[in-house]
Amino acid sequence: MKDEERQGPDPSDLELVQRGRSGDDAALGALAKRHHAAAYRVALSFVREDDLAQDVVQDAFLKAFRALGEFRADASFRTWLLTITANEAKGALRRKGRRRETALEDASEVRSEGGGPAHDAMMRDEASRARRMLEQLPEKQRLSVTLRIEEGLSFKEIGEVIGSSEGAARANYFHGIRRLRELME
Amino acid sequence: MNDTECGTVRELIPDFVGSRLAAEEVERVEGHVQACAECLAELELAQVLLASRASVPEELLERIMRNSVTERSAPARTWWGVSAAAIAALALGIGITSDPAQELPVEVPGFAYEAEEGEIWSSEDGLLAGAPALDELSDEALLQLLDELTVGSAGGSA
Repeated sequence: MKDEERQGPDPSDLELVQRGRSGDDAALGALAKRHHAAAYRVALSFVREDDLAQDVVQDAFLKAFRALGEFRADASFRTWLLTITANEAKGALRRKGRRRETALEDASEVRSEGGGPAHDAMMRDEASRARRMLEQLPEKQRLSVTLRIEEGLSFKEIGEVIGSSEGAARANYFHGIRRLRELME
Repeated sequence: MNDTECGTVRELIPDFVGSRLAAEEVERVEGHVQACAECLAELELAQVLLASRASVPEELLERIMRNSVTERSAPARTWWGVSAAAIAALALGIGITSDPAQELPVEVPGFAYEAEEGEIWSSEDGLLAGAPALDELSDEALLQLLDELTVGSAGGSA
């Protein structure tokens, strides 16, 4: 029997949540594996510091797993988790008492996909520059751009995560993109 | 260029660069940007932004597995809960000493967890042990601490 036949399709988030509620730690591990990267990048967008972002993500998962009973089946687990992550990140910033203006270069590693060494080098330069410009945007614009392009969230989901309406999330995204294009010119 | 088509394509660009579009939508975007420099520039910006996203630390998933998944199964053991236990224990005359021979867990009425080694301050000064950094607590956390203390005291005097 082939592996894929034996294992079947990947379980949905909802199935994993239901198994997690029944005490299945492996299901929670699968949820963590599936969503920890998005949670990390959301946390990093807020706190801009690798160590603190990791603490935030760990706390967000712990809080989410302990509150699985409150998760509504009609919601997206990812959006719910990212909302918890955003709230944890805001709390972490509040506790620090200031918003760090730490450069992101140390926490970021530019990825490049194909195109040969010269193309890779050009993309790295452009990517680093774009990341610096992105850091200059106001928080909601920065988060809207990050969540839309990097994580593929819909504007409705972005609104839930950053605490605004769908329309405001869309406006923040397009304002952010327009501003970035100006900065990159 | 048709503004309506530009608007539609710009809505699709993030999903285009993230490879989340159906084949016909991919063709629509590709066809449009061949003739629209503005939308092409926006598409290229989205590609660069995606390429610049932060990599995820390798140890993060392990941390989550070790702490969040495993700890989730345990009853909530917040540090202020332990602080409350220390204060309540002092009030009840149980006392927490630095004597390593003293057996843990410390049983305190009203607290449904068992303290583990290393979770309780080894200090004879229970008030000191129970009162670190209260100014860092949120209102919600302070109220929870107050509730726990009230329950602990009520249970102890019964």
